[in-house]
Formats: sequence, C-alpha cells, structure tokens
Amino acid sequence: MHIKQIGIAGTMESSDIMIRIEPKETKGIDLHLSSSVMQQFGKQIEHIIQSTLEELDVDAACVTATDKGALDCTVRARVETAAHRAAGSDQYVWRTKQ
Amino acid sequence: MFFQIEAAALVPPSRLQQYNSLLSVCGLKNENDADYTALLFDGDKLVACGSLKGNILKQIAVDKEAEGSGACASIVSTLITEAYARGFSHLFLFTKPEHERLFTSLGFFSVCKTDKALMMENNRNGVNSFINGIPKYSGNNGCVICNCDPMTRGHLHLIKYAASHCDHLYVFVVSENGSMFPPHVRYTFVKNAVASLENVSVHQSGAYIISKATFPTYFIRSDSAAEDAWMDIDITIFAQSIAPALGINKRFVGEEPFSVVTNKYNQRMKELLAKFGIELIEIPRLDSISASKVRKLLADGDVDGIQPLVNDEVYAYCKDRA
Repeated sequence: MHIKQIGIAGTMESSDIMIRIEPKETKGIDLHLSSSVMQQFGKQIEHIIQSTLEELDVDAACVTATDKGALDCTVRARVETAAHRAAGSDQYVWRTKQ
Repeated sequence: MFFQIEAAALVPPSRLQQYNSLLSVCGLKNENDADYTALLFDGDKLVACGSLKGNILKQIAVDKEAEGSGACASIVSTLITEAYARGFSHLFLFTKPEHERLFTSLGFFSVCKTDKALMMENNRNGVNSFINGIPKYSGNNGCVICNCDPMTRGHLHLIKYAASHCDHLYVFVVSENGSMFPPHVRYTFVKNAVASLENVSVHQSGAYIISKATFPTYFIRSDSAAEDAWMDIDITIFAQSIAPALGINKRFVGEEPFSVVTNKYNQRMKELLAKFGIELIEIPRLDSISASKVRKLLADGDVDGIQPLVNDEVYAYCKDRA
C-alpha cells in the first residue's frame, strides 16, 4: 500500500487513539507515539502499529499516534483506516473468523 | 458524566449567551470570525468549546468543573477531524504557556514559547522542514522580511542597501493571503525586481514568519498585551530557529514613521534580536515612500499617482487592472 497523502483516523477521547499517517520519501516507518499509558503499554502499542502497517504492505510512512488507552483491536482498526485513507484506497480486506 | 457535542459553522443564537459567558470566564472573547465551532454539553450546561479559523484552533475554553474529564480532548478531536475534512492538515494553536502539557497530550508540539504565550502545531518537525526547503548560503547573511503590498521603490532601496551590507541576503515575502495584492503577485514583483542582484534570494515566508498563525489576539484580554505576545512569538521563532540555520546575523528594516504598531514592532525586534546576537539595522525611508500610500492612491482610483512610487512592472500591472 502506497501512502500518497495525509490520512487520519480516530479521536483523542478516552479509550481511543488518533492516528495520522503521512507520506515519507525514504523507506521505513517513522513512528512517534504519545500515550497516557506509555509506561505500561508503549512498546505493545508501537508493536501493534508496526505489525498492522506491515500486514498492509506499507513500507514508507510517517506515523504520529496520540493514544488515550485504546485496546489492541481499536489501535489496529484505527491504523488500518488511517492507512487506507492515506493511500486513497477503499480496497478493504475484511478479516473473517476462521 | 455524559457529554454531548454540537458543532456547526455558527453558534446557534439560543446558545450564544452561554457561549460568550464561558469564553469570558476563561479570559477569552468571542471574536466572531470562526469558520466552525464545537460546543460540548453536559445536559443543558455548556462545559467546553473550541473553534476553527482556517488551519488555526482557537477560542478553546473548558469550564473549571469539567477540567480533567476529557472535555478538551473531545473538543480538540472534533476540531481536528473537521479541519482535515476541510483540507487542512497542518494545524496551529495559540495558548498560554501553562497549557503546554495538556496540548502535548493531545498531539501538539511546541513551536515557540515565551513567558506570555505558546505557539503549537501538529507537525513534529514543522520549522525544520520549512528551513530544509530553503537553500543555504555560507557567510555573514542578512534578511529582509516584507509584505510588499505592492513592492515600491522604497522596498527595492531597502533590499539593495541590505544586499550591499552582507554576503547573502534572504528576502522573505509574506505569503499570507489578505493583502490588497495576492501572495504570488507580491512574490513575483519582488523576485523579478531583484533578479539582477546576485547575492539575493527571494522566498515565501510560509507558516512561521508573520503568518496568521502568529496572531494570538484572542487569549489575552487587552489588545495591546496580545500584540506584544504576537510580536515576541514571531521574533523569537525567527531569532531562535530560522536565523541560526541560515547564517543570518543582520535583519534590515525600513524606518517606520507612519505606523505606531510597526514602529513598536521594530523597537521590540531591536531588543529581542540583540539577545540572540542578531543586529537590527533600520534605514531611513526613501523619499517617504510607503506601500500604504500606494494602496490609498489605488483605492482613490489615482493609478497615475503611483507611477513615481513603484517600478514599471507594478505600475503596468495596476494600470491593466484599473
């Protein structure tokens, strides 16, 4: 998935996360996370963001995340939505229950 | 607590009284120039509000009792989402320095802080990416920042004088809309007029030099105090971030005998820039030419009257449109 514009998703309400994904010229994910639960879950949230982007084949992007204690599934959903918006894509691949 | 958000281009008349009183309790005033306003209610009680004006978040106020309840986050989220929908992604806000932590937790980064005011943006490296986009010249460089609405022989005189007193001269033309002449026209006039000067480069001033994002007239009661806060932020960003990166140690301005505000701005610059090792050089006006005089003549329909004050290109442009 190619990031060609700025895409955002989410809010900064309690239990949500706001994700902003921007184009980046060089390869790699430049991630900046701030979280109200940074000490406890910072690493975990970063890992979810990175792996979600990896699954979407996003290999170059600047990501700014402002977390307010979102659950893993919320983080994943917000990243997916922001990435699709930033890629100008509506080709959602809905995960189905095995 | 269960909050409900109401957002619209205009504050509904039925809510206006509550809205104005919340602003005034928080030391702000309704400037009536917002493009979009979000209101947060707890039942019938207005507990927080905030507005968008272009790419600037402003007039954000939270009732004392609702502090710490996520009211501000709710307002800011609503405004950011709306701003993106409107095509603005680079957002600014002005606040008091004591609110730095609050807005940092809402995804904003400090651009510049003085003892009275704090300017923040939602880009991590905003100023640096602005600076990276400007070509660098080595040596002892100078700088002229002007609106040039439109460029006069006076501006040209200032630029020529400045260029002969430094290695390289950066000229920044204010890129904000809202002047008589559109930004690209003002920029092109300057660019063409100085084309023959080898050590001069012309740039758009962008978001960090005299932009609308640096007009915080709303968060301090007295207008003159707000003016000071604006001046200090603008001058500090220049002195702290932009000048050192471009090797600028002289800033040139024309003497300002006409406008009290601009004269005050020049005085304040002299004091503040000196602290950063930058010299302010004020030169006398050429034949007391001013752009405001040109605009007044044009407003009065006297196109021929401007001929002695401007160069041929500007004159021809105005003549064409008269």
